[in-house]
Amino acid sequence: MDVDGEDVSRRLHVKFVTKLDSPFKVPVNSVAIPSNVTRLGLSSIVNSIIQSDNPEWKTEPFDFLIDGELIRMSLEEFLLAKGISAERTLEIEYIRAVAPRKEEEPSLHDDWVSAVNGSSPRFILTGCYDGLGRVWSSAGSCSHILEGHSGAISSVAVVNSKDAETVTVATASKDRTLRLFKFDADESVDSSTRVTAYKILRGHKASVQSVSAQKSGDMVCSSSWDCTINLWNTNQSTSEGESVPVKKRKGNNQADESQSEGEAVTTLVGHTQCVSSVVWPEHDVIYSASWDHSVRRWDVETGKDSLNLFCGKALNTVDVGGEGSALIAAGGSDPILRVWDPRKPGTSAPVFQFSSHSSWISACKWHRSSWYHLLSASYDGKIMLWDLRTAWPLSIIETHNDKVLSADWWKGENVISGGADSNLRISSGIAIS
Amino acid sequence: MTKKSKGGKEDKTAIETKSKSVSGKSQKQKKPVEKEEELIQESGTDSDYDGDSLSGSLNSDDFDSDIFESEDDVTQGGTEEDGGDGESSQDELLDHEGSIDSEDGDDGSEQIDSDNIEEEDGSDEASDRDEAVEESDSSEDEVAPRNTVGDVPLNWYKDEKHIGYDITGKKITKKERQDKLDSFLASMDDSKNWRKIIDDYNDEEVELTKEESKMVRRLLKGQAPHADFDPYADYVDWFKWTDAIHPLSSAPEPKRRFIPSIWEAKKVVKLVRRIRMGLIKVKKPEEEPEEGPVPYLLWDALTSDQKNKHLTYIPPPKLKLPGHEESYNPSLEYIPTEEEKASYELMFEEDRPKLIPTRFTCLRSIPAYENALKESFERCLDLYLCPRIRKKRINIDPESLKPKLPSRKDLRPYPNSCYLEYKGHTGAVTSISTDSSGQWIASGSTDGSVRIWEVETGRCLKVWQFDEAIKFVAWNPLSSLPVLAIAMGRDLFFLNTELGNDEEQEVIKEMFHSGNIPEPEASVAAIVTWLSDELYGGIKIRHFKNISSIDWHRKGDYLSTVMASGETRGVVLHQLSKKKTQRLPFKIRGLPVCTLFHPSLSYIFVATRKDVRVYNLLKTGLATKKLETGMREISSMAIHPGGDNLIVGSKEGKMCWFDMDLSSKPYKTLKNHPKDITNVAVHRSYPLFASCSEDSTAYVFHGKVYNDLNQNPLIVPLEILRGHSIKGGVLDCKFHPRQPWLFTAGADSIIKLYCH
Repeated sequence: MDVDGEDVSRRLHVKFVTKLDSPFKVPVNSVAIPSNVTRLGLSSIVNSIIQSDNPEWKTEPFDFLIDGELIRMSLEEFLLAKGISAERTLEIEYIRAVAPRKEEEPSLHDDWVSAVNGSSPRFILTGCYDGLGRVWSSAGSCSHILEGHSGAISSVAVVNSKDAETVTVATASKDRTLRLFKFDADESVDSSTRVTAYKILRGHKASVQSVSAQKSGDMVCSSSWDCTINLWNTNQSTSEGESVPVKKRKGNNQADESQSEGEAVTTLVGHTQCVSSVVWPEHDVIYSASWDHSVRRWDVETGKDSLNLFCGKALNTVDVGGEGSALIAAGGSDPILRVWDPRKPGTSAPVFQFSSHSSWISACKWHRSSWYHLLSASYDGKIMLWDLRTAWPLSIIETHNDKVLSADWWKGENVISGGADSNLRISSGIAIS
Repeated sequence: MTKKSKGGKEDKTAIETKSKSVSGKSQKQKKPVEKEEELIQESGTDSDYDGDSLSGSLNSDDFDSDIFESEDDVTQGGTEEDGGDGESSQDELLDHEGSIDSEDGDDGSEQIDSDNIEEEDGSDEASDRDEAVEESDSSEDEVAPRNTVGDVPLNWYKDEKHIGYDITGKKITKKERQDKLDSFLASMDDSKNWRKIIDDYNDEEVELTKEESKMVRRLLKGQAPHADFDPYADYVDWFKWTDAIHPLSSAPEPKRRFIPSIWEAKKVVKLVRRIRMGLIKVKKPEEEPEEGPVPYLLWDALTSDQKNKHLTYIPPPKLKLPGHEESYNPSLEYIPTEEEKASYELMFEEDRPKLIPTRFTCLRSIPAYENALKESFERCLDLYLCPRIRKKRINIDPESLKPKLPSRKDLRPYPNSCYLEYKGHTGAVTSISTDSSGQWIASGSTDGSVRIWEVETGRCLKVWQFDEAIKFVAWNPLSSLPVLAIAMGRDLFFLNTELGNDEEQEVIKEMFHSGNIPEPEASVAAIVTWLSDELYGGIKIRHFKNISSIDWHRKGDYLSTVMASGETRGVVLHQLSKKKTQRLPFKIRGLPVCTLFHPSLSYIFVATRKDVRVYNLLKTGLATKKLETGMREISSMAIHPGGDNLIVGSKEGKMCWFDMDLSSKPYKTLKNHPKDITNVAVHRSYPLFASCSEDSTAYVFHGKVYNDLNQNPLIVPLEILRGHSIKGGVLDCKFHPRQPWLFTAGADSIIKLYCH
C-alpha cells in the first residue's frame, strides 16, 4: 500500500467491507490510513488493495458509506461532522460509484425529444415534437416509428411489454388524444417500421400532458391541460361498448379499418390547473402533479383523492419510488427537487430537498430497484443523479446542450434523456447495486 | 490667713529660717482661729465671762493658758474691730493691767510694725507690699506642718509626752509650759507678748507680726486680706475668642452630639400632637410682598410663574460630552487611518470632522490649540448675532413617517427570478398576450412576425410572418375561441391559432370564411374596411389611421381599436361575429391613447393624453366619470379584476392607482421608473400588478384590494425585475393568467418568464 508509507498526522484504522461480488472484495483485515483522505483517496486505496490480489484489475471508482452516509468530504471532517469516534476501527462500506462511465452515441430526432421511456429493457421509447413516437432498440438504431398524432407528443408509456410477441405502448399528444400502438419489439429490421395506432383515445379537451400505464397493462391514465385525469382501457375488444369502431371520420383523410376509438372509463376531477404529470405505481393508486401546486394521490376505485400535498410551486413532474415505493419526488417551476414521505404523519414538509439545479426541473425518476437513487432533469441542460444519503448530486450528466425535457433509467444502469437539442442520449455503465 | 501664707512665700527665698518660722506662724494662726470658735462654743454657757474676760483672766490664776491666749486673741481682734472704742477699751485694759504699754493705739501699732519690719526684713518693705497685691491667694505653697499626725483631736495626746511626729517620724516632745505667772510676767515685760500664740498642734509659740495682725483684723471684718486688693478691678479677658483653629479640648466629640435626642423627639411629637389637636395655634409666617421685577435664571428650567408670564423659554444649548476621541491619547480605533484622512480632504469643509483624534504620549507634548483665538472670536460673534427667537422644529423620527408595510416574505408568491426565456424573434418584441388557460403565449415583434410559444417549455409553436412591424397582439379572452387579434400599421388581423378542438376550429373557419363579409355601414365606411386575408385565412380590417392599441371585450366578441391620430373618430368597436364596426356612441375629447373594457360591467375606459374618462356603453352621452391623473402623457392602463381600481402608467415614469370608489384623483402615485412606462399589468387572481419601462426593468407590486370599503388598497413594492438588455427597455409585460408569473417582452427580442 503506497499510501501507508506516507507520513501524516493522524491515522485511522479502517475495515473495508462490501456487499459486492468477488472481484470487488477485499480482505476484511483492518488497515491504517491517513485521516485526511477524501473519497478519491479511499477509492485509490481500495483499488490498490484489489490490484495486489488481482494483477489485471482495472481501476474502478468507488463510493464509501459510513453508517449509511455517503462520504462527500475528507474522512476527518466527516467523522467530526457526524461525531463518530476515530479511536475504534471504522467499518467503511464501499459501493461502486454511481456515475456514467460511457456515453452512447446520440440518437438524432427530427424535433425536440419531449418524452423518453425506458421501462422496458428491450427498447427505448421516445416521443418527439414532430408528432412521431420512436422505438430504439439501442443507441442510434430506430426500429419502429409510431405515427398518427397531429400534434407534438408530450408523453409516452409502455403499457405491456411482458408479452414476448407484441408490445403495447401509449403516447399522449398535444392534439388532445392518446394513441395505443402494438408492435413486435424483437423484430430486427434495417429500416424502421412505421406503426399506426390500433386505438385512439379521445376525450381530453386540451393537450394531454402525461400518460402512465397500470402495472397489469389493462389500463392507462392520462393527465391534461383540461385539469382532469382520464382512465382508459387498453384492450382492443369493443365488447363493452365503450369504444366504437370508426370506419371513416369526417375530415379524417387516413381512414384505417383497424383503428378503434376509446372513451375514458373514469375521469378524476379535482385539480384546478393543468395536470402535468401522472404516475400509476400500484394497482389502484395514481399520483398526479399539477400546476395548481399540489401533488395528489387518487384512489382509482372511488375516484377520490386520498392525499393532497401542497408544494407552493407549479409542478412539472412526479414520481413515486424509494423505500417501500412510498416516497414522492416532484419537481417543477423552481430548481428544487423535493421528496415527500406521505407516511410521515402530521406534516406536508418535504423530507429531502435537492437544489443543485439552476432552472426548472422537467423530469425526475426513481431508480427502479434502488431505494436511494433518483435522477432529475432540468431546463439548465443537466441531469443529476441523486442519492438520498447525501445532499450533493452523485454525478451530473451534461451531455445536452439545451433544455432536457425528459429522462429515465434504462436497464438499471443507463440514463436515457431527450431534450430540446433533438437528441436522445444514453449514459451507460452506471453501477447501482 | 492667706495673707500670712503669702508673706511666708515671699520670704521663703530670702531667709529660709524666717520663712519656716512664718509658715509655722501661719499654721499656728489658722489653728487657733478654729480653736477659738470651738472654745467660744464650748464656753457658751458662761457668755458673760467674755465680757469681763480680761478682768476675769486677770483675776483668776489657774486659767488655762490656751483659753487665756485664745481669749487674748479674741479680745485683741475685738478691740481692733471696734476701732476707737476698742482702742480706748484696750487702753483702758492696758491701763488697768498696768503692764500693758500705754502707747498702744495707732502709733503703738505702727511702732510695732516698724519694729517688726526691722526685725524681719528691713530692706524692702514697699516691694513686699506691692507683691502682696499682685500675689494670688492660693494656699498651694503653704508649708507643711511640722506635726504629721493629721487632723486628730489633740486631747488624744493629752497624756502623752509628745505631741505628735515630725516628718522624719521622730516624736515631737511637748515643751515645758510656762506657768501662768511666768507668762503673766512675760506679758508684763514684753509689750509684744500678746501677739504670741501657742500653736498646740505643733507645740510652738508663734508671734504674729503687726502686719499679720492687721490682716487678721481685715479678715475678721470680712475684707480681703491685703489692703491693696481691689475687689472691683476691671475684668481682663485674657482669652482670644477669634482665630482659634484648634479645639479647646482634644477630647473626642461625644456620641450624644450625633444621635438625635430622644427627649427632643418626644417633645416634638408632643408639640406636633398638640398642634394637630388644635391646642396650639401656629401662626403662619407672613410672606413678604415682592417688590419690583424678580430676577430669574435665563437658562434655567421654566417655572410655572414664568410660564404664566408668557416668557419664551429658550432651552440651554447642550453640548456633547467629550468622548474618548477627544482624549489626548485615544485608543487606536479612534485614530483615523491614512485613507480616512485622505477622504476627509475630499469632503466639503462643512462635512469634514471638526476634530481629528491624534495621539500624544503625554500631556506635556500637546501643542497649543491653534484655533483657540479664532474659535473664541467666532463664539463671541455667534452669541452677539444669535437671534433670540425660538425656532419651531418638529422633532419626528423620519422612520416613523414611513408607512408600515408588510414584509415582502409575507406577500409571496410573486415573480422574482427568471428561469425561462423565449427566443426566436429577430426584432424588438412589442407586444405579448397569454391565452386564457396560460398554456400559450403570443408575441408580436418589429420584425413582422407573430409567434405562439408553449409557456411550459419555451417552444415556439407557430410563426406568422407579416411585412409590417407588429404593434399589438391580443388573445381572444374566450378559451373556446382561440383567435388572435394583431394590429400592425393600419390593419387589424384576426388569426386562427388552430389550437382549439375540432368543433371550435369549425366555428372559427366558418367565421373567417371570406364569403360572408357584409357590406359596411355608411357611418363607418370611411373609417374601416373589412377584408379577408388570403395569406393566413383570417380577416383583415383596414383602418383609416394607424392603430395604436386594441382591447378585447371580456365576452370575446367585441374588440375596440384606438387610432391615436383619429381624433374624434379614433375609437371604434368591432364585432367579430357579425363582422360589423361601430363608432363609440359618444364624443371623445382629446387624442385617445388606449381603451379598456370594464371587467364586469358595460363601461369603457378611454384614456386620452392627460386623463381617463369612463363611459357607459349602454347610454349615450357624457362620460360618467373623469379621472384626473395629473400626468403629462398616459401610455397605458390596466384594470383590477374587481373593476374598481385602475392603474395608469405614464410616459414620465409615473404610475397612478385610482380607487374609483374613493375619488377621481389618484389614490397613490408611484414614481419608480426613470424612463417611460411602456405598459402596466394587473394579475387576474393574485394581488399583483406590474409595470415595465424603457429603463429595461419591470417592477412588481403587491396591490391588495379589500372587500371592506373602509379599507384602502394596500400597495407594496415587491421586486425589481432586471435582465433585459439596456437598449430599448422592456416593451410589454403580462401576467400569467393562473400562476404568479410575469412575462416581459424586451426590445432585445427576448421574452422572459419570471417565476415565483
